[in-house]
Amino acid sequence: MSNASASAEPAEQLTAEEKQLVRAPLVLNKRTMGWISNYISSIVEAKTPIWWYVAMAITAPLTVMCLAMLVYLIATGVGVWGNNHPVGWAWDITNFVFWIGIGHAGTLISAILFLTRQKWRTSINRAAEAMTLFAVVCAGIYPALHVGRVWMAWFLAPVPNANGIWQNFRSPLLWDVFAVSTYFTVSVLFWYTGLIPDLATLRDRCKTKIRKFIYGVLALGWRGGNRQWRHYEMAYLILAGLSTPLVLSVHSVVSFDFATSVVPGWHTTIFPPYFVAGAIFGGFAMVLTIMIPACAVYKPLHDLVTIDHVDKMCKIILLTGSIVGYAYLMELFIAWYGSNPYEQAAFWYRAFGPYWWAYWSMMFCNVIAPQFFWFKCLRTHLVWVWIIVQFPNAGMWFERFVIIATTLARDFMPSAWGMFHPTWVDILTFVGTFGLFGTLFLLFIRFLPMICMFEVKAVLPEADPHHGEAHH
Amino acid sequence: MKINFHHPAPEKTPRIWRSLRELENDPEFEKHLHTEFPRGADVYQDSGLSKRDFIKLMGASIALAGVGLTGCRRPESYLVPFTKGVEFTIPGKFLYYATSMPARFGAIPLVATTSDGRPTKLEGNPLHPFSNGGTDTFAQAETLNLYDPHRSKQITENGKPSSREAFDAYVASVAQSDGSNLAILTEPSSSPTRARLRAALQTKFPKLVWAEYDPLAPTAANAANEASFGSSVRLVPQFSRADVILAIDSDFLNPIETGIGYAQGFSARRNPEQKGASMNRLYAVENHYTVTGGMADHRLRCKISETGEFARQLGLALAAATNNAALAEVANAFPASQTSIDPAWIKECAADLAKNAGSSIVLAGPMTPAPVQVLVNAINNALGNIGSTLLPVKADLVPAASIEDLAAAIDKGNVKTLFLMGVNPVYNAPANLGFKELLSKVPDTVHLGFFEDETGTASRWHVPAAHFLESWGDCRTFDGTYTSVQPMILPLWNGVSEIEVLNILSGATAPEGPSLVRETFNAIAPQATAESWNAFLRDGFLPESAFQQIQPTFNAATASGLAKKGAPAKADALELVFLQSSSVDDGRYANNSWLLETPDFVTKVTWDNVLMVSPATAVRLGIKTNNFGLLGDVAEKMGNDVNYDLIGDIVELSDGKSTIEAAAIVAPGHADDSLSIALGYGRKGVSALMDGVGFDAYPLRSSNSMRFLDGVTIKVTDRNYPIAQTQEHRSMEGRDLVREGSLERYAKDNAFAQTMGMDSHIPPNISLYTHPELNAKDQWGMTVDLNTCTGCNACVVACQAENNVPVVGKDQVRKNRDMAWIRLDRYFAGDSSDPEMLSHAIMCQHCENAPCETVCPVNATVHSEDGLNLMAYNRCIGTRYCANNCPWKVRRFNYFDYNQRPIDELYWGPLAKKGMADSLKMSKNPNVTVRMRGVMEKCTFCIQRIEEAKISRLVEAGPTPASDTPIAPFKVACQQACPNDSIVFGNIADPKSQVSRMRKDPRGYVMFKYLNVSPRVTYLARIRNPNPKMPGADLVGMANGSGHHGDAHGEHADQGHVDSHSDHHTEPAAH
Repeated sequence: MSNASASAEPAEQLTAEEKQLVRAPLVLNKRTMGWISNYISSIVEAKTPIWWYVAMAITAPLTVMCLAMLVYLIATGVGVWGNNHPVGWAWDITNFVFWIGIGHAGTLISAILFLTRQKWRTSINRAAEAMTLFAVVCAGIYPALHVGRVWMAWFLAPVPNANGIWQNFRSPLLWDVFAVSTYFTVSVLFWYTGLIPDLATLRDRCKTKIRKFIYGVLALGWRGGNRQWRHYEMAYLILAGLSTPLVLSVHSVVSFDFATSVVPGWHTTIFPPYFVAGAIFGGFAMVLTIMIPACAVYKPLHDLVTIDHVDKMCKIILLTGSIVGYAYLMELFIAWYGSNPYEQAAFWYRAFGPYWWAYWSMMFCNVIAPQFFWFKCLRTHLVWVWIIVQFPNAGMWFERFVIIATTLARDFMPSAWGMFHPTWVDILTFVGTFGLFGTLFLLFIRFLPMICMFEVKAVLPEADPHHGEAHH
Repeated sequence: MKINFHHPAPEKTPRIWRSLRELENDPEFEKHLHTEFPRGADVYQDSGLSKRDFIKLMGASIALAGVGLTGCRRPESYLVPFTKGVEFTIPGKFLYYATSMPARFGAIPLVATTSDGRPTKLEGNPLHPFSNGGTDTFAQAETLNLYDPHRSKQITENGKPSSREAFDAYVASVAQSDGSNLAILTEPSSSPTRARLRAALQTKFPKLVWAEYDPLAPTAANAANEASFGSSVRLVPQFSRADVILAIDSDFLNPIETGIGYAQGFSARRNPEQKGASMNRLYAVENHYTVTGGMADHRLRCKISETGEFARQLGLALAAATNNAALAEVANAFPASQTSIDPAWIKECAADLAKNAGSSIVLAGPMTPAPVQVLVNAINNALGNIGSTLLPVKADLVPAASIEDLAAAIDKGNVKTLFLMGVNPVYNAPANLGFKELLSKVPDTVHLGFFEDETGTASRWHVPAAHFLESWGDCRTFDGTYTSVQPMILPLWNGVSEIEVLNILSGATAPEGPSLVRETFNAIAPQATAESWNAFLRDGFLPESAFQQIQPTFNAATASGLAKKGAPAKADALELVFLQSSSVDDGRYANNSWLLETPDFVTKVTWDNVLMVSPATAVRLGIKTNNFGLLGDVAEKMGNDVNYDLIGDIVELSDGKSTIEAAAIVAPGHADDSLSIALGYGRKGVSALMDGVGFDAYPLRSSNSMRFLDGVTIKVTDRNYPIAQTQEHRSMEGRDLVREGSLERYAKDNAFAQTMGMDSHIPPNISLYTHPELNAKDQWGMTVDLNTCTGCNACVVACQAENNVPVVGKDQVRKNRDMAWIRLDRYFAGDSSDPEMLSHAIMCQHCENAPCETVCPVNATVHSEDGLNLMAYNRCIGTRYCANNCPWKVRRFNYFDYNQRPIDELYWGPLAKKGMADSLKMSKNPNVTVRMRGVMEKCTFCIQRIEEAKISRLVEAGPTPASDTPIAPFKVACQQACPNDSIVFGNIADPKSQVSRMRKDPRGYVMFKYLNVSPRVTYLARIRNPNPKMPGADLVGMANGSGHHGDAHGEHADQGHVDSHSDHHTEPAAH
């Protein structure tokens, strides 16, 4: 449970012993329920700020560029990317796994921390979940469009067709289709369900008819009655229960794409836990990457997303980063211990082959860089945190690149070895997905409450029926 | 049986044919149309070629040659328009006809597959006595040549379109003249009909200058044979009788150099299990790695300029050993020079040859200078090989003037009319002749050629030549067997054959192909009857028609006279050796994209020729060995082959008068201080495909340096040139992919290959999946004998022709997107300056437990009950997962619409021109789907042939159960093309089948056994037969090391050098 000591609450009435027992508040500066509703709603209701237009002017063209690249891809062929014969998957699947990984933190925060009653989650879960969805949208582009004949991709769906051919349920790629689509569906439901009470709040505050209508429709007739709350909480709990295994399964299934193959460097049983840990690691880094600037723009949010939150997330990054580091070393150990020359060579080439730079970048970003979070001064300094979490962000991309492209570049037969070089289409498509991600996030900030108002209110001291009793 | 033949009426207007060129949608052509060749513009504008015209004119079929033809109305022409519904054809069923392809060493006997009147595939004629049923790459690519949309289609005069009538009238006017200023330049040919017409012409025009020129002709060999044994003597090797073979500057195992049939018997003697005869031993002396060098048990890197000295020293050693005075005389006549050749090599090689006197063969290459060849003849004579392993025959060579003689005659002004038939001297004549200027001195020139090439545009008349699949002809194979050439289709673009032109020139009125040949046949065949003529056409050859064997005596006096002219090697000089290109020959295939994209046997370079240089010489000359400077050197030290995406330094080569440029690459196993470059590239202005491909080496080649130029100066520029290689990595990295051992090791443990490397201690395999039962009666499998596979590429091009494999272009090859379904991997093992070379044919292994099948999400690749790994293109969505999971990396993905879009517009997407030239559509095998973009493809084991055979069985079985009827034997495309029968395909469920027997061979092994994928392809390990006394004999056959472990336990630090640490394991590991 929360044990942060960076509390700003004055506890002048308490004895020294009592002070130690008091939990640090989750909301600082004694913000009231009314302030929370007012402030968070005002972000959506106020006139669109200039910075939003500036940011949109950057991300929207990037989104358009991404779409243009995808149109070019579909119109011309997968050859516009740098993929080739040994390297059948390169940036496409790298970016897919990268984005899917990012899409882990949100649902993890929402579902697992909800089930484990981690109350500090309330102020960050909404944005983190939104980030999850947008990341999965970015991720979904790649497996859908990396195939040679996009117009035939419906063959992946288990629908009856004239040929009477069923899907191949032995293929991890098919598992992937189900895992990712299920994850996305449940995440959307989970997110939307959690939004309903806040949408109702917005609806109730609306001053124009159009807004009232839109938010009214989105709020699904929420009135805040007891029965509704009871249903809501049950639904939310069920969805959290559904999401929790999905968080763990989706990246495990993604890792099966590699783990079930025969390719040395892919064929390894450590992948599922290692991929999940890596995904949480990367996901939290991305949450911090986004939340820190958002709170910098909306300064009062620091009372809700406190330095304590940042500290906790940094600790999770440190933990998962270390798990990832352990996995890297274990891979090397098993390659050596397994005495399979193909495995040994695969790991040798990762570290010292033509893509050594990617491997060592990964090692530094994912294993070395998070170790700075052992120091509390770095965990609680927003600028440093923001800088340090960029390493996991980049490192997790390198990890996927190392696993996918560099393994394929040198596998069984030296005669068939070949290098992968990204093309401009590869690069612009990837940059474009950041534009898409940013655009969706900006729209989210602008039109939806980015912090779950009713849940934050629930963790205020006032929400506790026994609030203040101990002192009287 | 009455068959009513209707020969199509000759088309008066050439309109329809010419518009084909427009149909091909070639932007280059549009450009040509308006800039370079405006003369054709008005003619080409029109269109209107309907499908009906196509069927009427192009869908011409051949009547089954020889069946009841004598009673026909028009027996002279057997081509029937396909609109007539020819009686014996079944639409969609192939018909097969024997024919042959005229070639430098005689002919390649062929069986042509025709589909609805279109020849679509050429295969070796297994009936022919001087053929083992194989072909070479060029024969396989001839179907593409036939349908090449860039072929010339129009008779032109002074660059303006003309007509056949005008040309015939012109030739007739020449025929009327006295021929005093007439000259003909043509290629050497084995055709008796041409020889007959030539004789007739020379009788008619006594002053006719008949000159023959082919840049790669074995002129030197003929001269040496004449000096040694008298005129017109030819030595036909009998490799089945040879125990020891020494090849000096000779790539005799490569059919493109010596022709099909020449090396027959070699592979049978390569089998260590053969009863009654020991395995042969091959020594090779060469400057660059050839396929023969790769097969050799002992290989000596030697400058070509020093091969003479090598032969001299060998001759002296053998003269002493055999007490042969004639050899001593010839060897002593050859001028001595200083060389650095290891004397022990010569001594032991000579001892081995002397020990096997009478059962050995010493060979020199066709272009090796005559003084060296004459020495080789003397050596064979001293060893008693003449008459035992080298059969002397009396060939029908008629001396002709050389191109130098012709040049002298033109220079003197004696030639006013010059017929250039099938030759391109403006491009490929010796540079010292200055042929282009010479040609301008001749007022009337007539060029007969496939392309409006360099000579065509420089001539008054250009006449499209007929392809050998479009014309009647004949030829003799190397041993002299009289062989037929018959057309499979009417000339697509009104081409004319050489014998037709000669016939008109001799004064005959109409060109009658078949009757011209038949006349010759009547003279040659002992009893020429209609039946024997029909049999000649049906079987493709006249039995018992080989040249007569003779007993020549070696003439030491004339031989030593020729040997005296030998050039001593220049000390410290850099030599430049001119090679036959594996892709474009002397340049004649420069427009054949199949061949351009076929990787060179050794360098694996496609689309270009490159200057090959040894690693040591590259360092000495300052040619980059990697592209990454110091970092690259460090990476190389760490075991990384950093030459991926090879970029070659451009160098300038000069003989003092002319300078050429070429991109240099480092070639392991190349002789030091020697440079090699293939001829035939760097052509400009002929077609879009040829432009910008490779470097022209002809400007440095002159009459006295046809094989090599001694003393060339080199300047390394700071410019680079991108090179497209299909295989960048040279080393096997200590993996037991190609397995080889010495004969000695094989004698100790003939199953050594089955327990190499990891295979010696992998646990028994178990599978998580239960697979559908493989319960069909036929279970298809293949074996590849690595002991006889030379890596000659014939299978690669055969597969391309059979399976409609697309060409992707240089840029795509550089991106590793080549589409070949079968590839020949080449590994070097050992010291990089003098390594061993190993070749490895890799195609889909049709694993019973296929890793590609489990991962396909849509079931597009599945297994059949008869053990085939099937690929359903319709179902494939192109996830490429199967390719990633294939250990052999044999799956090929259509990254673009290679069949529909021009290769230079692949990136244009929908803006690129769409569609294939109509003539190219005709070249496709109708039984094989042409794949679209976005789908995966791979070797199918020629499933179309399997199904064809199964259908035939059903027909044969009739009402009886088909399973009781044995399937008729058939071959898959790669197997059929293989000149050494290295590939065997068949039913492994039948214990009597050849493939079953081969699979049981103790040399047999499957790759990646630990993966438990159960491949259906078994490789037979390679056995080398080193002479234990030779220097370096202990390293021969040691590419995998000698231990059972191979390098399974190799330390990481040794990755990349593992091939050279074979000597670490001197003892088999104790397991």
